[in-house]
Amino acid sequence: MPRDLNLESVVERFYTALFRFALSLTRSDAEAADLTQQTFFILSQHAHQVRDTAKIKSWLFTTLRREFLRTVRSQTNHPHVEFQPALHDSPLTAVDASRTIDAKTVLEALTRIDPTYRTTVELFYLSELSYKEIAETLEIPIGTVMSRLSRGKDQLKAVLASMAAENSRKIIPLRRDEEAAR
Amino acid sequence: MKKPPAEITNEKARFLLCTYRPNGVDAQDPIFRDALNQAAQDPELSAWFKEQRDFDSVIVDKLEEIAPPAGLKSAILAGLETQRVVRPYRFRPLLAIAAMLVLSGLVIYPMYIKDGNDRAAFSGFREASLAIVTSGMGPGLDIRTPDIRLTQDFIEENQGPCAPELPLGFRDLKTAGSKVFQWNGHPVSLTCFHLPSGEMIHLFVTDGKMFPNLNMPVGIVQINGWYVKVQQIKGMVMMFVSRATMKEIEQFI
Repeated sequence: MPRDLNLESVVERFYTALFRFALSLTRSDAEAADLTQQTFFILSQHAHQVRDTAKIKSWLFTTLRREFLRTVRSQTNHPHVEFQPALHDSPLTAVDASRTIDAKTVLEALTRIDPTYRTTVELFYLSELSYKEIAETLEIPIGTVMSRLSRGKDQLKAVLASMAAENSRKIIPLRRDEEAAR
Repeated sequence: MKKPPAEITNEKARFLLCTYRPNGVDAQDPIFRDALNQAAQDPELSAWFKEQRDFDSVIVDKLEEIAPPAGLKSAILAGLETQRVVRPYRFRPLLAIAAMLVLSGLVIYPMYIKDGNDRAAFSGFREASLAIVTSGMGPGLDIRTPDIRLTQDFIEENQGPCAPELPLGFRDLKTAGSKVFQWNGHPVSLTCFHLPSGEMIHLFVTDGKMFPNLNMPVGIVQINGWYVKVQQIKGMVMMFVSRATMKEIEQFI
């Protein structure tokens, strides 16, 4: 373990961002908390592998994701939602749409984008990792991070606009005969 | 001679700027230099980049509304502390010497106190207790729980001495756990509490009859970098041990 690695200060610094990332993966507060705790447990056991303390952030996110994938592999009913461009088309602009929704809706929207791009986009928004750190975390080239972010963000905008439109349709007008009966 | 700016298309600039973080930390990254210059000159790219950053900022702000469950941090720290406590034993010469000294103390002190020297008996109790929490192998807790009521139930069930009362500040502290052990034939309980700084405060409780004629030391004393405070309440001796800062300890005891 590097001599200057203080586990308590590492927890203090990263546990919130890790929890948010875990929540985006698991969709469950309890599972996200477990996953976050497990990540720090692994860090304390294998801290000697972290030779460069500057890379501890990437290491933590990589480990959390690997732990999540390890858990998921043992489950067959993991929800998987395909991105459907036709369904998600919407006339609302993305920024306007995103302003009208809450944090849970954003998380929900993240689960609706294509799984190929999803983790890259989640890491970008939830972890404040740079494109280089995302590349290290996902073990993919920098160019791939950029193309996934570009496409993933486009999908996220479309999904959010679609969700905002769905919400606006939930206000159902009364039928004419009901109005007449009144 | 100044190098002329590289040619970059709007399409390539968009591709790069998609990874530009909304908090501006990437401003100095040379990979974005040409794309940022282009965005400053081209109105169409500039509008796209502004909308992109607005969108990113909104998403980041929304996601920052998600707060971890209360107690997650302390649960993580407690888990790490527990792991340190239960870490598998590896032979360490200095620890072995320390353990031998402790064991010698545990054997010699009971012989010594047969002479009725309460002060020596108390010193022995204090040294043995300190050795439990400072040995590096941890106190070897019998029950691990953040709930103080469960620690006190455990102590009662195991005929250990319970604290007759606790300082007010302890009400909000989570416990790491507790144990009951014998010293010189007398039961002693140990309860470990997490302080907000992440340090621990350990409370040893035993029956004051072990030292019937002793005037307990007043105030907080420092022994080998650990702060120790002893109180006698309702016939019970309560000894608090911590290596937190004096300032933090004084907030609680």
